[in-house]
Amino acid sequence: MSEQVAFQHIEKSSLIGQRIKKPDAPAKAIGKTRYINDMVLPQMLYGKILHAGRPHAEIIDIDISAASSLPGVHLVITAKDIPDLKLGFVKDNAPLKDKVRCERDEVAAVAAESEAIAAEAIKLIRVTYKDLPGVFSAEDGLKDGAPVIQERFPDNKSLKFEFHHGDLAGAEAGSDIVLDDVFNVHYVTHCCMGTSCAIADFDHNGKLTIYSQTQYPYNYKMDLAPALGIDPGDIRVIQPPTGGSFGAKLDVYPFEPVAAILAQKTGRPVKILFDRQEEFINSPTRQPARIHLRSGCTKDGILTFRAADVLMDNGAYTSWGPTVPVIMMRTTSGHYRVPVVDFTGQAVYSNNAYAGSFRGYGNVQMTYATAQHMDMLAEKLDMDPIEFRLKNAQKSGETTPQKSFLRECALAECLTTAADAADYVAKLKKYTDERSEEGRYKRGIGLASSIHNAGGAKIHKSDGCGTILKMDDYARVTVITGASEIGQGIDAVIGQIVSEELGVPPEHVTLVNNDSDLGPWDVGVHASRTTFIAGNGARRAAIKAKEQILAAASKQANVSAEELDLRGGYVVQDKDGAVVTRLDKMLRQMHFQPEPDVVMVSDYYEPNSEPEGRDHISDHSAAYAHAVHIAEVVVDTFTGEVKLEKITMAQDVGRVINRMGLEAQMEGGVAFGIGFALSEEMLFEQGRLKNPNFRDYKVPTAPEMPEIEMHFIESDCAEGPYGAKGIAELPTIVIAPAIANAVYNATGIRFFNPPMTPEKVARAIWEKTQQ
Amino acid sequence: MSVKTELTFTLNGRPVTLEVPVEMTALALLRDGLDLKGTKYACGEGECGACTIEVDGVTVNSCLMMAVDLQGREVMTIEGLQTNNALHPMQQSFVDHGAVQCGFCMPGMIMQANYLVKKNPDLTREEMTRGLEGNVCRCTGYSKVLDAVAAVVGAKQEA
Amino acid sequence: MSEIEQYLAPENLASALEVMAAGAVTLVAGGTDLTPQINEGRRSYAPTLINIRHIEGLSGISAPDGHIRIGCLTTVSEIRQSDLLTTAAPILCEAANHFASEQIRNAATIGGNICNASPAGDMIIPLLVLGARVELASWKDGGVVVRQVALKDFFTGPGRTVRRDDELLTAVIFARPAENFIGYFRKSGPRPALEISTVSLGIGGNLTDGRFSDVRVAFGAVGPTPMRGKNTEAALEGKILTPDVIQAAVVAARKDVTPIDDIRATEWYRNHLVAVFTEELLQNVCQN
Repeated sequence: MSEQVAFQHIEKSSLIGQRIKKPDAPAKAIGKTRYINDMVLPQMLYGKILHAGRPHAEIIDIDISAASSLPGVHLVITAKDIPDLKLGFVKDNAPLKDKVRCERDEVAAVAAESEAIAAEAIKLIRVTYKDLPGVFSAEDGLKDGAPVIQERFPDNKSLKFEFHHGDLAGAEAGSDIVLDDVFNVHYVTHCCMGTSCAIADFDHNGKLTIYSQTQYPYNYKMDLAPALGIDPGDIRVIQPPTGGSFGAKLDVYPFEPVAAILAQKTGRPVKILFDRQEEFINSPTRQPARIHLRSGCTKDGILTFRAADVLMDNGAYTSWGPTVPVIMMRTTSGHYRVPVVDFTGQAVYSNNAYAGSFRGYGNVQMTYATAQHMDMLAEKLDMDPIEFRLKNAQKSGETTPQKSFLRECALAECLTTAADAADYVAKLKKYTDERSEEGRYKRGIGLASSIHNAGGAKIHKSDGCGTILKMDDYARVTVITGASEIGQGIDAVIGQIVSEELGVPPEHVTLVNNDSDLGPWDVGVHASRTTFIAGNGARRAAIKAKEQILAAASKQANVSAEELDLRGGYVVQDKDGAVVTRLDKMLRQMHFQPEPDVVMVSDYYEPNSEPEGRDHISDHSAAYAHAVHIAEVVVDTFTGEVKLEKITMAQDVGRVINRMGLEAQMEGGVAFGIGFALSEEMLFEQGRLKNPNFRDYKVPTAPEMPEIEMHFIESDCAEGPYGAKGIAELPTIVIAPAIANAVYNATGIRFFNPPMTPEKVARAIWEKTQQ
Repeated sequence: MSVKTELTFTLNGRPVTLEVPVEMTALALLRDGLDLKGTKYACGEGECGACTIEVDGVTVNSCLMMAVDLQGREVMTIEGLQTNNALHPMQQSFVDHGAVQCGFCMPGMIMQANYLVKKNPDLTREEMTRGLEGNVCRCTGYSKVLDAVAAVVGAKQEA
Repeated sequence: MSEIEQYLAPENLASALEVMAAGAVTLVAGGTDLTPQINEGRRSYAPTLINIRHIEGLSGISAPDGHIRIGCLTTVSEIRQSDLLTTAAPILCEAANHFASEQIRNAATIGGNICNASPAGDMIIPLLVLGARVELASWKDGGVVVRQVALKDFFTGPGRTVRRDDELLTAVIFARPAENFIGYFRKSGPRPALEISTVSLGIGGNLTDGRFSDVRVAFGAVGPTPMRGKNTEAALEGKILTPDVIQAAVVAARKDVTPIDDIRATEWYRNHLVAVFTEELLQNVCQN
């Protein structure tokens, strides 16, 4: 009551742009949070999978007798024990295999009373294989007489995507400069710190509860059900805290239906948890690609065309990986003003690992090529590199050949901001001049940019998100959102947005978003969409609640609702902040009256975007954003080590919502790109992964991270919440080509095949000196 | 199964005596035997630091240590860092500086950071970076982690 | 998986050695190499597991009469932070500084790193440069017997040494380097430490009026064992380090090593780094 006296007037203030702490951080920091990896259910059994460990083979016989009779083993299953049902984008992936098509193939599975017994049982399963000749590259898969990987696809050709716009031959003829290069983008993987895990539990009505790391719980049901032969409605998805996702959990992978089948057949909850080696071998990768890119421009520096021929190793099965051309072509056609575009992307089955979605989704691969071509064109033109890019930079109101409508386009501002901050043009010239001088260590600076969807991506029938919001008699808010939390921080953002609208502290907002039986539909955490889509949804729901409260308050105080506002836990006069009544009191008055007026609102936000469509001519996102990165490196020309000293980045974020979370996403996103550029590489030999551990698969560690200077450009997106755009993928997308351009500036050598490992760089420099 | 042996040590300030299989790792004992799940498994080969604990005042990877090797020693896990139901200043700093995203690596990161600052209250940013080289984080890019540790060092220097 | 039938944590050397004389044992101290090797199936347990941590007198760094003695249980962190070694043999502290991570340095013992006999064992290189010997103790006729083996003769192949199964490596010993001793260590990799060396190199010797003598050179990860570079040593012994001498040493170094291709590096790159590092370390010596 004393508060009321203290706050006679409450000034208008805003949380937007402030630094908001993640609500789940304290429990995580004290080790109290139970991740799915930590969970133990009553009566739970431990599942384990026998993986083939060979790339291509017929399975002649499987002897499970020794494994089955091991004390503590409840069940051993093989493909013979389950119906012939498939997973995946083209339903080519059985939970348990009757033929081996890649190293990770799931051949048998065990449920036992402990992890140790399950592991022992796996070793006791005797499989007789007849090895078959394999296909270990997309090129080999296309050869006449190549072994057939998937019987339904006798030519080994998997998905194909095309987009053609304008007169290519004419554009080529009208070009003064044409570049023609092949980029080979390698295999990398997510390396979530929490390894893959699922816990499945059936009830006696046949309903499956699956504890999952999935980042798309609603469509997950639709993808999982067919592999089990059950109705999607009979699946409840619970998402306990998870140790990272980054796209790795945007599909159903075989271990998940296997856990469910084991649970169904044993009548007990079954947990499958990978160890780190299993995680490396049995997780999706980033889609590798051979990108044949041609780019042209006039001598005045106007881009004339881009033609990209992309060949992708599909691996043995089809997850999201080979669909990345959907984004690759947007970059080909939209990364600067490209009047004529020719894009073909073809995936080819092989006996290699298969790719899923991964932060940056195709754009990491494509921008590695396009941003280097922009750099190469500027050099060939002998034109100021910023001037060249500005000439071709699209502006607000322009539309790309694929009909991406750039309502607010801040590419030019990103370019000039980053270039000025890093003194890019002067340094570029200085280091170019120094290249021919004596000296072991060479400095280099490189700039890259790209475009990415920043308002969702309508690749499903809906790109929307549901929100249910209720307020109790104590002015505490519960928000039930379809949006998942995988560490990215939507919990903080939704709390912040709802607080902003309802004038309550963020800690008075509880988020419920981990149970598909409670939450309304959402398409999932992907495409940099969650702050934009779920943020808009939460805001709209909060505004509905606010309107309901102010309407009631307006009646009571006898002023119009437009003259009232919610601030600091009070209903106040909008103009001077004079307190009208306490919010909790108001809510109780609304509740306890003859015709109760309780605040329980819902919203389904569908972004203003068009379905992708088969011809790929659509405004598929409600917003697009650009980013520019400048990397400064020192190359040890003797050892080939590239030391990344500084990154200057400018990104159109629309509007900063949670500044702390935004910075964290930028820094973490960049780390992925740095690993991709310099150190991370899955080394396959005849389909077998040779480095399934952190010793030899090198994710960036603290000493490898450079200083990062961030500039957030606020273009004020009309469709985004408070003007915000989606942000989380561009940092991963843009840094690698910036580093490649910097290494070129330092050494005069182009690296078309990342990663730029010390050996690769040293070898290229040595070979150059031998010429 | 292999033989078991009796093991007595001090865990987060309290004595513990129990029987353990001799081939068990300290990590497995803490997580599965003692239900202290704050200490994480992420690689099992000492390359990521998610399982970092303090033994006799120095940090080690509990995934590489045999449980029997805890005999007679003082062990602290992430659960032992907070006192009186309040976050330890290092934990609070990680929360305040936005260093926690998915958070899976953070118990190990915080244990290591706390050890570094205890060992050297005048830690430089360079020394922090080196000291945390054995702790892999896939979310943060480490900047916010270093900010969090630097703030604790700064606070100590002011105090 | 083989089963452990007996676990022992002896407190004195004699009782440990007596058990070792009686049958196959697995020794554990820090566990940093043993545990992953067991997990990956590269090694299995013997019926008896002996934890040597509690054996008295196996830890610590001392300086008896003109020598430095490092007990086998001394951790890499203790070496890194040792005032005695920082003064007397900084090359050893330098290698410790580039060893794995802080947590592993805190657990890994010098005895374990030597006995693991990895061709890429980081601590072995400076010890070879220091001309170290290892002390091997065993049980014979009711008493402890000790023999010493020069470290350069200790390794016989990857993971293999001349240590008999009944012997415990109790210490590593080297003559305290002369006042004019200069030694440098270098290992490959963009990371400061957490990296299995693709090449490591140590060079040391006495520098008098620009003349380099009693030169020892050691290479890691470029042959089946960590090894001394006899040709390189001969090319440098007694010489003033002129550019010609350095170039001759680089050529000799390439002759000393027999690297192979593996997933971490090709033979070409290892040869290349041997040349780069040899020249770099000799330049460091010159600048002294």
